Formats: sequence, structure tokens, C-alpha cells
Amino acid sequence: MTPASRSIALTVALVLLAVATGCSKKDQKEQRTPESTPDTHDALLVYTVNYPLAYFAQRLAPAGVEVVFPAPPDIDPAFWKPAADEIGAYQRADLILLNGAGYAGWTRYATLPRSRIVVTAEGCREAFIDVEDTSKHQHGPGGEHAHGGTAFTTWLDFRVAACQAARTRDALKKRLPAAAGEIEKRYEALENDLLDLDTRLRDVAKTWKGQPLLASHPVYQYMADAYGLQIASLHLEPDQPLDSDALKQLDAVLAEHPAKLMLWEDAPLQSTADEIRKRGVAPLIFAPTSQPPATGDFLRAMQQNVTRLECATGAQECL
Amino acid sequence: MRDSLYLAWQYLRHNRAKTLLLVLSLAVFIGLPLVMRAMSEVMQESLMARAESTPLLLGKKGSSLDLVIEALYFQPKGVEPLSEADVTEIDATGLARGIPLRTGLMAHGFPLVGTSLDYFPFRHLALADGRSLTMMGECVLGADVAASLGLGPGDALLTSPSTLFDLAGVYPLKLHIVGTLRPTYGPDDRAVFVDIRTAWVAEGLGHGHQDLSQAGPDVVLARKDGGVTANAKLVQYNEITQDNLDNFHFHGEPSTYPVSAVIAVPDNPKAGTLLRGRFVDDPTRQLLRPAGVVEGLNQQIFRFERILQIVVWTVGLATAVMFVLVMVLSWRLRAEELRTMTRLGCSRWKAGQIMGAEVVLMIGASVALAALLGFLMAQYGETALQNLILRGS
Repeated sequence: MTPASRSIALTVALVLLAVATGCSKKDQKEQRTPESTPDTHDALLVYTVNYPLAYFAQRLAPAGVEVVFPAPPDIDPAFWKPAADEIGAYQRADLILLNGAGYAGWTRYATLPRSRIVVTAEGCREAFIDVEDTSKHQHGPGGEHAHGGTAFTTWLDFRVAACQAARTRDALKKRLPAAAGEIEKRYEALENDLLDLDTRLRDVAKTWKGQPLLASHPVYQYMADAYGLQIASLHLEPDQPLDSDALKQLDAVLAEHPAKLMLWEDAPLQSTADEIRKRGVAPLIFAPTSQPPATGDFLRAMQQNVTRLECATGAQECL
Repeated sequence: MRDSLYLAWQYLRHNRAKTLLLVLSLAVFIGLPLVMRAMSEVMQESLMARAESTPLLLGKKGSSLDLVIEALYFQPKGVEPLSEADVTEIDATGLARGIPLRTGLMAHGFPLVGTSLDYFPFRHLALADGRSLTMMGECVLGADVAASLGLGPGDALLTSPSTLFDLAGVYPLKLHIVGTLRPTYGPDDRAVFVDIRTAWVAEGLGHGHQDLSQAGPDVVLARKDGGVTANAKLVQYNEITQDNLDNFHFHGEPSTYPVSAVIAVPDNPKAGTLLRGRFVDDPTRQLLRPAGVVEGLNQQIFRFERILQIVVWTVGLATAVMFVLVMVLSWRLRAEELRTMTRLGCSRWKAGQIMGAEVVLMIGASVALAALLGFLMAQYGETALQNLILRGS
């Protein structure tokens, strides 16, 4: 065996090895090529968990932004449970606006891309309001605990609403730096509208001077806290007649909390309205608008809410 | 020439044992250094590629190598965990986005990796089948896991109990497989991916049980001041489904939940530098560049490989000397045979050609064997060697 033939043989071995390892690397590169990623579309896609946030995003967004609020219209979005494909649609969004304060319980267990999530109410208050839950229990070594909840209708404190809008503005500016000036200008207009509502509600509170109010549902906690309103809440549905238990409950609350006005999320049934009027209480619609209103928009609905409250409390003349 | 090759082939066939011994010795002599070098290069490249694609890694102060190995290659090293608050802190800097990683648990012998959905596009992981994670209790399998276990979307997988003999420990959690990933020829192929909250449930930080407000007297020991004390009959859920999702909950402050490491993806190189500056004097945490750590590991491997190479070449030289010796002795023993060939009219040149053909055939077979060895090692050896080095480091 000559040295020349040996070196030829070695070269052959090297070439064969290079081919073998090269094949493996080539496959690797081909497979690593990612599939279409979620954000391969032209328009910035924004998904929200309730209508107020969708409204803020629509007011702030320049052209080319698509805002989607996908909850079905007949469901309270706070308690909606989206299916896997609906969560998949959220995952494909460029920006996901969550409310925070435990709103939309499904976000607690859904898998969403955290880099695209903005929790709008986070940091807008020192603390969120706890909803008392008495179902404390104990099992195993973990000790006693309760699955208490948090009040989540944050936007009914209009300063918090303005703060949520500001978080939305920041998120949009970060994703659309070229439109930052336009977004800022739009935010200023929105903030003015929200702070105007805030001022009007503060005037209502001054006129009302801490007199008790009733609420058909526990959704006005932040409004009560922000404007110093004394609101006692029941669990009554506007589309369901009051049964004897509900009436007993109403009477018991009225005995301790003699209110003259009762806030409703929607117009109650005529029979319900008559029953509460019999007790000297006037029903008043103050819609939280977590779903889009039948006519108008969030701002219009809130202006109507505040106008009704101003009229009922005497803060302004009734139109 | 064809006659010479034929006669050489017949001779080698006749002396099978001697031929096989020589071919194997030569194959090892030729193949081992080449295979070793090729494997080492492939493995170092693969380790480095993974590290270089991970810009920054945040973990507790301690061994930086252990942190990188656990966070990037999912080999459990028992690193001390950070908390969810650290992920939030990275996000809040506005300089980078944090991708949390919870490692340390296993499912069917494969590492269970709890992370966020951002991990998948970050690592360019694409689905081969099924869909992505959408809720707690679901998992996506790496390509090797799916192939080894023969599982796919619609099947289920149990997490391994953390301690075998801990009767009061955490129950295994049944994970619903919703997707499998395309192969990436890296550690992601050998992992089971879940939402980080699923990992927390699997390690006992969260749990689900029947609604105590509706539990019967056989389950409830006492109801006092709105509190309920249950006995061991309380039904605890070992899987998360649409029906029992609402009964799953976590205890304690969510910001304190453990996170093994955080991959920090800076918006740009300047942001990365600024972020590193913020953690330089941190007394409890380290923000490191994994490429730097793996470079150190590769240097150690290289040093070890050089020592090994000296040994291999020494053995190879001895093999070569032995081969020459065997051939020379063989030719001497075959002197009578050569004389017979000459008497039959065969020239000395032709006899030499036959002997040469024997050597060429043996070397050819050795080279082919070495190449086959190289091919097999390149296909299957990289992972084994990587595991060996990462487990041992």
C-alpha cells in the first residue's frame, strides 16, 4: 500500500463523512424554517375583552388598525368562555387588550402570548376592590382559603377609564411609532370626553350628598368608590320578574339602606319597575356598556347615563 | 488488473478471520479520529447555535453553566428559581420581553417545560400536527417525544410524580395533547411544552377540587364562619377540562410563583446592553449571555478532545504498525505460494499486483466501514454525546 493510495482512501472517508453530516444539517435547516407566524398580516390586529376597550382602541387607532371584540352580543363578556378556536383568534392578534381586575375569567386559564397582552387597568388604582366571598374552605395542609373575587367594572370610574385609554395609547404608539403624534392627539380628545364625564359625576355626588342608592347588580363598586356614592347592591336581573324572595331581599336592604333611586344595567320589566316604585324607589338606567349599545357608542351611552343621573339627583335640570 | 483483484478477493475470502480482524482494526484507526472530530464539531456548533439564538438569560445567582444547561437544554440541574415577579420586571423595563421557563418536572421520562406562547415563535417551532396551546391542562409534544411515545393530538400524557414515595405529594396531572412540533434537531424535540400555569398545577401550586359549597356531609368536616373544612374524601381533579376549569385555582401571591429562568429578548443591541447594566450589581440574580457560557464549555470540550486525540493517534499508530507487521509476516509465510505462482508462469510484477490488490481491498473495506460508522454517528450520535456532556458537566 503506497502512501498515495492511503491518502486517497482517507479523502474518500472524509468526503463520505462530510456528505453524511451535511445531509443531516441540510435537513435541519429546511425544517427550522418557521411556518407563517401570527403577525404576518398588513393591518395591526387588536383584540379586546370588552366593548369599552374596543371603543378606546377604535377612538385612538389611526387608519389600518383592525379592532375586534369577538364576544357574542347576548353574553356578558366578563363571564364569556371562548372556545379553543376563539382563543386561537386572540393568539393571532398583534395586541390583546385585557381589562384587568379579574375581568374575563377565561384569561386566567387561557394561553395567550404575554408579549402582546396589555392589562389596561393595571396600575390605574392603588388597589382593586375585593368582592366579599364567604365560601372559605380548608383541605390538606394548605390551610383555610377562599376563592374571593375582584370587582371588575373599572371603567365606571372615569379617571380609571382615562388611565385604561392611556395604556391603550401607549401600546398602540409602541406598535405604530410612525403614527405616535396622531394617536396622542386622538387620546387627548378621548381623555377630555372621559374627564368631562368624571367632572359631571363629581357634581352629582356633591348634589346628592351621600344619600343612599340601590343597584340591581354589584357592578358599580368603582363608581361608588370614586364619587363617594353610597350604593347597596342586590342580585336582580332586569329581564326577570321579581319573585317573593327577591322582594323580601329588596325590603330587607331598603330597611337598612333607605334609597330613593335604584341603578339598573338595563330597563327593568314593567312589573319590576312598578314593584320598586311602590316602595318609593325610582328605577334609573346606568348601563355599564360592556357590550356595544343598540344605538350610538360608549361615549354616547355614558353621557346618557350621566344625564339621567343628573336629572334624577337634581344636579342638572331634566331635559 | 481484474485477474489480480479476483485472486486477491479469493485469498481474502479464504482467510476470513485474518481479513476481518485487519479490516476492523483499520476501520477503527481511520474512523475514530474522523468521527470524533466531526461529532465534536457538530455538537459544538449545535450547542453554540442554541446559545447564540438566546440573547440573554436571567436566573438566580449560582453556576452560570447549570443555569444555561437547564434553561436551554432542559437537563435538570436543580437551579434555584426566580419568581413570576422577575418576568414582570423584565417586561416593565421596556428594554426586552421576558419569556419564562419552568423546568425540572418530567412527563414519561421527558422534560416538561412550562413557558409562555412567545417561546414558540422565538425558537421558530412550527406545528407538525394539531394546534397550539389554548388553555391550561394542554400540552404540545416535541418531535422526538411524539415519535418515541407514539402519541399525537387527542391522546393524553401523565406528568411524573415529583417524588415516588411521597404519598402526600402531588398527584400526576393528565395532560391533553393538542399538537406535535416539527423536528428541529435540538432539545425542543425532546420536551413536552405546557403553559407555565399548567406546570405550576403539576407541581402542586394550583389545584382543582369539587365545589365545597355543594359538598355533602361525608366530605365536609366542619363549616364555621363561612369556612369549610374538608376531609381526605374531597375529590381532587387530576386533569383540567372545560367542565372543571373554574374549580382550578392557585394559592398565594401569583407574583411569587417559581420560574426557573427567563429568556430576555431585547428590542435591539443597545437595549440588551442597558439591561445587562441593570443586573451587573444585582446581589441575587444574574443576567448572562448564554453564548459566552457555552463558549467556555466548548473550550473545555476542545481541550479534552485534544488529549483524546493524542491517545487515539497513538493507538492508531500501533494499529498501523501491527497491520504492516501482519502483512510482512504474511508475505513471508506465503513465500512458497509465491514461488509456485512464479513456476506457473506468473511474473514477479503480477504477484506483487495481487498482494497490492489484497491491501487495497482491505483498506477500501475499512474506509467504507469508517464512513458507515461516521454516518450513523452523525445521525444518532450527536444527541447521545450532547446528553452525555450536558448531564456530566
